Amino acid sequence: MSRDVTAMHLKLLFDLDTLLSDLQTPVYKKIGFKINSQEQRALLRTREDLLKKLPPEMAEIYERLRKRYTQAIAPVENGFCFGCFQKLPTELLTRSEEINTCPNCGRILYWPSS
Amino acid sequence: MNLASLLSKERINLELKPNKKNKVIEDLVYSVKKGSDAELIVSTLLKREELGSTGIGKGIAIPHCRSLAVSKLEIAVGRTTKPINFNAIDKKPVSLIFLIIAPPQDPGNQYLITLGKIVQIAKELTKKDLLHKPETPDEFISLINEIEKDLKKRK
Repeated sequence: MSRDVTAMHLKLLFDLDTLLSDLQTPVYKKIGFKINSQEQRALLRTREDLLKKLPPEMAEIYERLRKRYTQAIAPVENGFCFGCFQKLPTELLTRSEEINTCPNCGRILYWPSS
Repeated sequence: MNLASLLSKERINLELKPNKKNKVIEDLVYSVKKGSDAELIVSTLLKREELGSTGIGKGIAIPHCRSLAVSKLEIAVGRTTKPINFNAIDKKPVSLIFLIIAPPQDPGNQYLITLGKIVQIAKELTKKDLLHKPETPDEFISLINEIEKDLKKRK
């Protein structure tokens, strides 16, 4: 599987996990959007499918990080890992095609485009 | 936090071409981001729509999500020239769409606070029948500002 596809699956998985976690927050529930519980279960299955599409070692890293930090992926902003707010080494300061992790906290790094 | 201050006239399109729901969402996303970031956002927004339409009724929809693809809260507004089917909760077509995308790291929970505020303002817009009143993005921002001030006074 190409790195691009793996990276896209990782990002989709992350956004999906964020969505699923938002649904549980009291503030979100209070806003009052109607959520179809059957579709919510279907989304959990989509999540499992996405996880299976990742190389097994990447899926394992993602799940381990998610359990540890809730957010397994951290954006890189101004040279900092926005997971642990530590300055990143020079080689990790620019958008990379590789899937890299923060040398300090281990989160998978993501470079948002400007 | 003031919603009007988060709006920019470049991201308010009051003459959005009516189209299928997904295409309208896509058009609004592309006013905020391009390329693979936009694809990721569209995909997440559509997953959210699968859970239940964000068409809150009376002609307004508020598609929303948090995504890795943005580093700050982004809002775009679109008003379609003809109402479109959005599978809204009241089954009525939608013409005013507030799109809200927030980064995953969200200090102070700005995303959910803003989302709640938009819902509140949207209800005021429909109550006062103001959905189609603003003719320019500047007028739209002024109207939101007025509604916010009015809501603040009532508190």
